[in-house]
Amino acid sequence: MFYYHTLKELEDLVNENKLEVWQVVEQSDMEENGRTKEQSYEKMLNMYLAMKEADKNYNGNLKSASKRAGGDGEKIHRYNVANKNICGKFIGNVMEKAIKMGESNACMRRIVAAPTAGACGVLPAVLISYQEEYNLSNDEMVKAMYVAAGIGKVIAENAFIAGAAGGCQAEIGSASAMAAGALAFLQKGTVKQIVNATALSLKNMLGLTCDPVKGLVEVPCIKRNSYGAVNAVTSAQLAMAGIESAITPDDVIDSMRRIGNSMPACLKETGTGGLAVTESANKYLEK
Amino acid sequence: MDIFDIVGPIMVGPSSSHTAGAVRIGYIGGKLLGEPVKKAQILLYGSFLATGEGHGTKKAIVAGLLGMEPDDYRISDSFNIAKEKDMKIEFGEAKLNEGHPNSALLRLEGINGNKIEVLGQSIGGSRINIAQIDGIDTNFSGECPTLIVHNMDQPGHVSEVTSMLAHKSVNIATMQLYRSAKGGNAVMVVECDQQIPKEGIEWLKHVEGILKVTYFAGI
Repeated sequence: MFYYHTLKELEDLVNENKLEVWQVVEQSDMEENGRTKEQSYEKMLNMYLAMKEADKNYNGNLKSASKRAGGDGEKIHRYNVANKNICGKFIGNVMEKAIKMGESNACMRRIVAAPTAGACGVLPAVLISYQEEYNLSNDEMVKAMYVAAGIGKVIAENAFIAGAAGGCQAEIGSASAMAAGALAFLQKGTVKQIVNATALSLKNMLGLTCDPVKGLVEVPCIKRNSYGAVNAVTSAQLAMAGIESAITPDDVIDSMRRIGNSMPACLKETGTGGLAVTESANKYLEK
Repeated sequence: MDIFDIVGPIMVGPSSSHTAGAVRIGYIGGKLLGEPVKKAQILLYGSFLATGEGHGTKKAIVAGLLGMEPDDYRISDSFNIAKEKDMKIEFGEAKLNEGHPNSALLRLEGINGNKIEVLGQSIGGSRINIAQIDGIDTNFSGECPTLIVHNMDQPGHVSEVTSMLAHKSVNIATMQLYRSAKGGNAVMVVECDQQIPKEGIEWLKHVEGILKVTYFAGI
């Protein structure tokens, strides 16, 4: 049985069976959920294609239900194509795609929750930008999606992926950790580097609160997708350079759970604390 | 945990609980009614009531009642589609006693006059729980084939249902029994691993003491 509940167990399965991370995650999905190899692969491919479609279908003219969110993706796109980009082409694209996806979500467009709708911009921003930069096949990207999904599963089983349960560290934090691991895989990282990228990424997101204005998935959620995506790229690069997290990946996940549990309810998606109760927040819908 | 609960579902935003989950509550409500909806009273509670407007929760529930699933592009246009289909919709506040924060109470009437009242809860991700049908407590997700039998609270009805399922080689995943009072109305909710053949369901409908049979093939 290819069963894993921790990243250590996932790492051991990879090493013992001389497989890649995505193969263990795929095999485990087949065993646990009774899917054939073809069914599992097809489902994952569809998720990735839906992400690409959502990216392509961004419409900068749309506004969210609050009539306040929308159009920022267009702004950063214009900035990027004007060659004013100070972050380099790849990071510029990552930021642009993350904002666009976050806005599409707020504007009731079709997206892929990964792991949640609020954090739906992080993983596709990193993956699609990387595919475009290095001209990779969809097949390679599906493998990266399995890596991300396996990491997300471990986080969900040992901590949480919902802002209401653990704050934003559970949403953008988890998405960033998933994207960091997937990116380390795409850069031909070892399993150790993959889980290390995950640890570095999540560690930097610990304590992040979920205090959205009016409880809407708009402020600060949309922009935070961009930060989560760039954090993933930074973490993958550190891991690929051989820099290691002093805290093991599973210990970081465990810390996220304990931090989330000690977070007050007003900072867990109730719209009753933090940014949500500021004067600017009260004015947000009046404009 | 299923990795496709982590990567996925494909859904219309902005919120898996307030939008995708709300679509599913409407969808299952409509399926439980068993015919196209003519009139719907949609009563919201808790966070659904407080933040539902900005999350498109109302549009999402109406979309579900129209048979749309969480990834349907037309969700944001559901009010217009309902109008075209002459579906009458009324919104309000549900008065629940310490209900789940994301709850919706649906009072539905179909084109053939059938009526049903369904209490749905959006419990995280896009997952939901149907907590009441016609005022009687239930507890199921709609993720697998689900059989709901309203019957008189008399000896033998559970065995009639389970015998039918055994005869059709359908395995029971979970089974719950509820009743309003001893000897009163009872509800049986049976979640199955396989689809139940139509003739099995038709047979049940004609058994004495069984008042109503609803079958839902799963999301």
